[in-house]
Amino acid sequence: MENQIKCLIIIPAYNEAENIEKVIDNLITHYPQYDYVIVNDGSTDATGQICAKKHYQVLHLPINMGIGGAVQTGYRYAFENDYDIAVQIDGDGQHDVAFLEKMIRYMQEEQADCVIGSRFVDREGFQSSGLRRIGIQFLSVLGWLLTGVRVRDITSGYRLVNRRFIRIFAQDYPSDYPEPEAMVIAAVHGGRIKEYPVVMRERENGTSSITLKRSVYYMVKVTLAMLIRRLSFGVRRQK
Amino acid sequence: MIPHTLQITLSIAVVCYFIIILYYLKRKTLELKYTLVWLAAGLVMGIMVFFPELLVWFVKLLGIESNMNGLYILCIAFIMMILMTLTAIVSRQQYKIRILIQEVSLLEKRIRELEERKPKNAGGDGAA
Repeated sequence: MENQIKCLIIIPAYNEAENIEKVIDNLITHYPQYDYVIVNDGSTDATGQICAKKHYQVLHLPINMGIGGAVQTGYRYAFENDYDIAVQIDGDGQHDVAFLEKMIRYMQEEQADCVIGSRFVDREGFQSSGLRRIGIQFLSVLGWLLTGVRVRDITSGYRLVNRRFIRIFAQDYPSDYPEPEAMVIAAVHGGRIKEYPVVMRERENGTSSITLKRSVYYMVKVTLAMLIRRLSFGVRRQK
Repeated sequence: MIPHTLQITLSIAVVCYFIIILYYLKRKTLELKYTLVWLAAGLVMGIMVFFPELLVWFVKLLGIESNMNGLYILCIAFIMMILMTLTAIVSRQQYKIRILIQEVSLLEKRIRELEERKPKNAGGDGAA
């Protein structure tokens, strides 16, 4: 048990009334060693009331900002409260906190700045649909071409960052569909990015934020965002 | 050259344009900072209308056949410029709003926790 390490779990939640209670209660009972904060992203359902009733640690965003803005709020909170490690997980119970301890240890062993929980290292658990995997593969290769760092599960929202990247992400984090772009940011800052095999569950309630109809928009937007992100950094030496 | 009637029409249009902008500026509906590009556009338009030789010279320089087309292209160029500055302003505001929302939520949490820590009826005006 890493007692000396202050670790914050950031849980962005938009209309997650059905899942949030289970996710947080599990966290409180089984993993009391980690701090957590829910970022209630202007939910229109009972998410906010549930958090208030159960006295969860929660940041209420008065207006819906999208996942990127919500997660960044968590990073700002982590920065202000001086955390060593920040972990982001989804509010829908997809990500199992049981992996966290191993991921933290892996992060220390590898001296990584960023550890991404990946479905595609051991290929266990929920693997997403075929078309979606092709999209992820494409973005992964694109990220590799742009930065020289290969992250297989580049859209994974299960990631750990250290103090240095808490600060960077608190200041600069992409707004919508942030994961691949955030990886590019981390890479161009010379961060050591590692993947750790995790098993993800299929979400129990609610729908994924990316429907098939929006996936074309998603791919175009994310591809451009990654390209522009890379261009705006210019040619920088890797540290 | 531009026909004289058209020149008169355009002159009136440019004058109206300035009057409208100044009117809104006076009423503080528009922020001067954001109308600078409008005013600059109007100024160039005015010069072109009052000194058509300049327009003719400029249009020739660009390789456009007809003077009127040149005028249109000029107008479109200005509109695009104004739109781009608008998009830039919107983007900057979005960024600022984002920071504000995040700051509000962080402060709200702190206030909530402070209030929870404070003993009940400490204010003294509670009608218990």
